[in-house]
Amino acid sequence: MENKAPELLNAVPPYGHMICSDKWRNSSFIQGLKGGGVKIIFETELGVADFLLPNKSSVLYVSECDIIAGSSYKRKVVRYRNAGSSFQELVLVEKTRLSEQYFPAVQKFVVFDLGLSLLPISGQADASQLIAQMVHGEGRENPFRRKSSSRLLDPLVLALVQQIPGVGKVKALVLLRHFSSIQQLCNASPGELEPIVGQAGAQQIHSFFHKHTAGT
Amino acid sequence: NLIVSETSAPSGSVCILVDSRCISSGVELLTSLRQRHAATVHVCSLDSSYFIVSNRMAVERQSQSDLAAAQNRKRLAERVNSLQGLFERVCIIVEKDRTKTGEASRPFQRTRYFDSTLAALVRLGVRPLWSDGAEESAGLLADVARLEHRKGHGIGIPVEVKGQHRQQALQLYLSLPSVNYVQALNMSHNFTSIAQLINSPIEAIQKGGCMSRPKAEEIYRFLRYSCDSFLMNMSKSGKNS
Repeated sequence: MENKAPELLNAVPPYGHMICSDKWRNSSFIQGLKGGGVKIIFETELGVADFLLPNKSSVLYVSECDIIAGSSYKRKVVRYRNAGSSFQELVLVEKTRLSEQYFPAVQKFVVFDLGLSLLPISGQADASQLIAQMVHGEGRENPFRRKSSSRLLDPLVLALVQQIPGVGKVKALVLLRHFSSIQQLCNASPGELEPIVGQAGAQQIHSFFHKHTAGT
Repeated sequence: NLIVSETSAPSGSVCILVDSRCISSGVELLTSLRQRHAATVHVCSLDSSYFIVSNRMAVERQSQSDLAAAQNRKRLAERVNSLQGLFERVCIIVEKDRTKTGEASRPFQRTRYFDSTLAALVRLGVRPLWSDGAEESAGLLADVARLEHRKGHGIGIPVEVKGQHRQQALQLYLSLPSVNYVQALNMSHNFTSIAQLINSPIEAIQKGGCMSRPKAEEIYRFLRYSCDSFLMNMSKSGKNS
């Protein structure tokens, strides 16, 4: 049994399911989840975490009682963090009328001291709604996911060259046709620039790149 | 131009950069940051309204009701995407809505929509921080800035940019891909000239810009990227300005 636990700690439940610590079996939280269409697998050997979700998150639940009872919740959260799961670790904290006054201290401990993510909930009903969203959300596309756009660099180079004083779009294009990269343009001598932008322009561009900027 | 002049952070206090758009909605917060938390607050023009608390971390501030409103999702997604491109770490302060004096505070109705937005943000590694009001948000900002400072990522350069040429250099650094304001500041402070940055090896860019190795590599490649004359001709008639 001892060596069974670490394995379970990293078991990913199938889509639409969650793995739940056995102690939750008869709770209103579980009733709420069933109403939300989440299938639940109970497990007695889950270790410190309360729930495992298909998006590879593991969740610890800190109740109002835990918080009001004093600092024992701290041990619980530390044990959870030290379990070193490969999952994303989330801590749900009951923020109720009774536990509200302790919430800033709990947040400081969980987020700043331990570096975990904290989500407040007002109770088990809230929690089951949130967890249901997390379980079902895995099947949908994350609306905040960064679209990996293969950015075209040419317009960015062009925009940067226009940061040189006195260089607009037309001049920038002409310059880049002669010196195709920013580095080449920067290292061009005034003599090389002169046929393209004239003597004054050549001096201005050259000194812009080479003039001293640092220090106060 | 809303550059509020203050010098670099004295030892022991933290420095926070604030976008000028945060001023109107954040008077109370900014006052509290300066007075109660002795933070050096420097107002500047960032690309949207957020706070920079270290060389690698930005903090976005949203009211609970804004986060819960479906019509805001697209805009929020764009902002979070852009922040994640610019910063290694992104936090979001979710602040309880202010109630007008005399008005009974209505309990926040938590919706499925709010939960799914929250789940999506956390999934992408955006760290939520919870606040009951402006005063508490200021405390969280100061705490997170102090923590970053302790970890060696604090903003450690003068935040004021004096002189026209240095302003111009800063603008040029800001137009490098994925470079955020504080990295541009670091560069304008740590390189003796623009040419020195342009000709620097990756290691020197990483050090001078206080940035990650991949970002320094990206800049190094960008500075040497050879423009395709065909594309350059295309962009002439295109809408890229």
